[in-house]
Amino acid sequence: MSETVTLTIDGQPVTVAKGTNVLEAAKLLGIDISAFCYHPGLPIVAQCRQCLVSVEKNPKLQPSCQQVVAEGMVVHTTDHQSTLARQQQLEFTLVNHPIDCPICDKAGECTLQKLYFDHDNANSRVDTPKVHKAKVVDVGPHIVLDQERCILCSRCIRTCDHTSGQHQLEFAHRGDHEILTTAPGEQLDNPYSLNTVDVCPVGALTAKDFRFTMRAWELEATPSVCNGCATGCNIEIHHRNERAWRLVPRHNPDVNHYWMCDEGRFTYHELREERLGGPVVDGLPASWDRAIAVAGKRLSMYQAHGDQIGIVLSATCSNEDNFALASFAKAIGAGHVYIAGKPPVPARADGRLRVADVNPNTAGVKAICEALGITAEPTYQLDRFLPQTLRALIVLGHITPGLDQTKLAEVEVIALGTHERGPLANAKVALPIAAWAETAGTITNNKGHVQRMHAAFPPPGTAIAGWEAIVRLAQAAGHKLAWTHAREAFAAMTQAVPAWKDLVWQREVRPLALRFAGSRG
Amino acid sequence: MADAQSLKQLVLGRKDVQDLSDNEAELPPELMTVNMGPSHPAMHGTVRIVLTVDGEKIVKSDIQPGYLHRCFEKESEHATYTQVFPYTDRLNYVSPMINNVGWAMAVEKLMDLTGKLPKRAEYIRVIVSEMSRITDHATCIGASAMELGAFTPFLYLLKAREWLYELLEKVSGARLTHSYARVGGVSKDLPLDFDADLTRCLDRIDGVVVDVEKMLLSNKIFYDRVVGIGAMSKEDAIKTGCVGPIARSCGVDYDVRRDFPYSVYPELEFDVPLGTTGDCYDRYLVRLEELRQSARILRQCLKQIPDGEIMSDDHRVALPPKKDTYNTIESMIRHFKHIMDGVRVPAGEGYAFVEGGNGELGFFIVSDGTGRPYKAYCRSPSFVHLSTAGQLIHDHYIADVVPIFGMINMIGGECDK
Repeated sequence: MSETVTLTIDGQPVTVAKGTNVLEAAKLLGIDISAFCYHPGLPIVAQCRQCLVSVEKNPKLQPSCQQVVAEGMVVHTTDHQSTLARQQQLEFTLVNHPIDCPICDKAGECTLQKLYFDHDNANSRVDTPKVHKAKVVDVGPHIVLDQERCILCSRCIRTCDHTSGQHQLEFAHRGDHEILTTAPGEQLDNPYSLNTVDVCPVGALTAKDFRFTMRAWELEATPSVCNGCATGCNIEIHHRNERAWRLVPRHNPDVNHYWMCDEGRFTYHELREERLGGPVVDGLPASWDRAIAVAGKRLSMYQAHGDQIGIVLSATCSNEDNFALASFAKAIGAGHVYIAGKPPVPARADGRLRVADVNPNTAGVKAICEALGITAEPTYQLDRFLPQTLRALIVLGHITPGLDQTKLAEVEVIALGTHERGPLANAKVALPIAAWAETAGTITNNKGHVQRMHAAFPPPGTAIAGWEAIVRLAQAAGHKLAWTHAREAFAAMTQAVPAWKDLVWQREVRPLALRFAGSRG
Repeated sequence: MADAQSLKQLVLGRKDVQDLSDNEAELPPELMTVNMGPSHPAMHGTVRIVLTVDGEKIVKSDIQPGYLHRCFEKESEHATYTQVFPYTDRLNYVSPMINNVGWAMAVEKLMDLTGKLPKRAEYIRVIVSEMSRITDHATCIGASAMELGAFTPFLYLLKAREWLYELLEKVSGARLTHSYARVGGVSKDLPLDFDADLTRCLDRIDGVVVDVEKMLLSNKIFYDRVVGIGAMSKEDAIKTGCVGPIARSCGVDYDVRRDFPYSVYPELEFDVPLGTTGDCYDRYLVRLEELRQSARILRQCLKQIPDGEIMSDDHRVALPPKKDTYNTIESMIRHFKHIMDGVRVPAGEGYAFVEGGNGELGFFIVSDGTGRPYKAYCRSPSFVHLSTAGQLIHDHYIADVVPIFGMINMIGGECDK
């Protein structure tokens, strides 16, 4: 029995894997069969009737999402019957749809708008008043429901069932009074609830976080990776005016499929809180040149005794940043290397996307240390060496659990971080570095995928990439690190870490203007 | 006395001619390099010419356009098809309506709308185009005459141009940057009493043309400055790609309106004037006659223009009426999509061209099926004509650069794109 099936769609032959549905097969040919309820990551229900196509030798139109391909099948998507079916279905769907586009958050990325414009585009023939339903229904902590806008595709219901395993949404009533509502005694509060907003083809479910903040078509999308936990869900940063406005999941069958958790979506807020905008030397703002010179000078005082210098790597920073600092640690012969990171949150782990380790790059730092022959310990081991044994510390990242700030005050701390928190608040020299959304780099998730992040917007103030700051620091201390681009740091790293030797640096991508990208649906 | 002499030398930096020896009295034999432009009072547009002169005679010239480069073509890639109209206004800013129409026609060609527009829309497009042609030619003749010292025709013609601008302002809402055409028609109908206004305006312009003709046609000073100056042969005109009045003055019998008829030009009667010598005088004569022909076309249009719609009823390009937009979701979505995503043009490429003020003005568009051009190119006549300027001014005197450039009618906005 062959594993592939060949069929004809609109006169073009296409060969697909057995079990594929007609809609997916048509997509391969670039034929856009309109659909509302179909989502590639969800079970198929064929209830919107928008994707009807005619299949030869079959007297009735078939929903292409549910119709599995068969050998020799002949499908027509542009014949009179299926075109008319699409148009009439759209007309039907719009009968009770409110005239909300100007105030709707989904406008500009709305599947209903797109499909109507592409497949119908006719005038209204309805002169009866629309059926009105509830407009602002608070269905959960993150989501507002507009029942009028809902076209009853059930994607959100299936998303809740599928991503979180919790049945929190349901349909109630019948006919043109049918509404989407929460299941009895339930709230839409599962940790994956915001996926329902993404899959909603209209503006029925909107995120409180994004509602009325920014017009969807004015945003630009840059691919990146969520830094919220060790899963490393692939995301798109939607940004404009040099800041992120929301994070949405990007499809990756190996990591997160089409989904991500709510907590991860909110991580962009931190990018704007308490950021360190410029270098600080002894509590006073300084130029980069002065800060680097001072740091280099103070480091060189201890260089003769490398074991007096401690290095703190960070599981919250990129592979490049950590590799740069680890290389520097090797070069100065640092006696003690530690790995900082947020403490695990066991309650998070649910066997789905959320895991206990809330650091994005734990696996990466470990791999780098191993490859460079560095024995690294967690930061809470560090306290006992302070302040006598270790006289100077180079700290990456602002999260250093278990470190006593009063003891830190007595040693020479050179801290590189994004936020003016933790060791950066009291460091002798604090150097601002770019956060994950602001620089090119890679992080390694808990399954060992080395994933690329792209810079969506520039870092605040005079902050520079972490690896670059470390390179400047190393040069000031008289060591040869001479990378000028993240690509070079990455190349050196892939040579050093055997498991990564085949990785290639992915070219920088230009932000995609959502306005001309068509509907995201 | 001796002191007075040296003082004179100190002040004037040279000796009196009678004090010079025979050798010194001759002009220096070396070539000299002179800059003309980029901003020169007697120059059309902003363009720099580095002239190498032997005395007053030009032996070499280096013409450097680009001072008005605004990335029209690149900018178009970031705007919806409709948002490009304001950019086209700034191409040949003396006849923006023709640019509007040219762009609209190129998009319509890609959407297979050519010839399917309502008749009234087509007539309105021709009317505003011909009005623009009059403003264009009037400016060219007037400014060229003024640069040769004849200030009166300039004032007369610019006054006539202002009447038309006022009328166009009534039509479109803007005096110069009209942005009037739309893909599928025009943005608004002609104002009330437009017929009477335009007829009165044309009558007055006829008078102005006669006046100007009287002032210039047999004006000895003007005649001597332009006859035989900057002549180009018919072959050269074809070889260099000249079009419009410049090619016609050389005897090239080519007018897009007649040879590749578009819009309702087949229904209109007009003559295409031709020159014989291809010099500046012929270019002036051809333009003068085209003023009359445009007026003739306009009078026919006013007689023939039918009532009806001014916009195609194709939902792919037509905005729904405001009443429907506010009251039905279907029209609301269509309105939204047209404004935010732009008119959706099927993937493909197409070239459409019109007879602009300076000749064949073409737009080449590559569409990827979205609401904005994937690539846009503008075939601007000014750019082609400017490329012949070096050849035309060769062996002429510096003073001749002025009429030659005036009659080439290089429009910086169009040339530099």
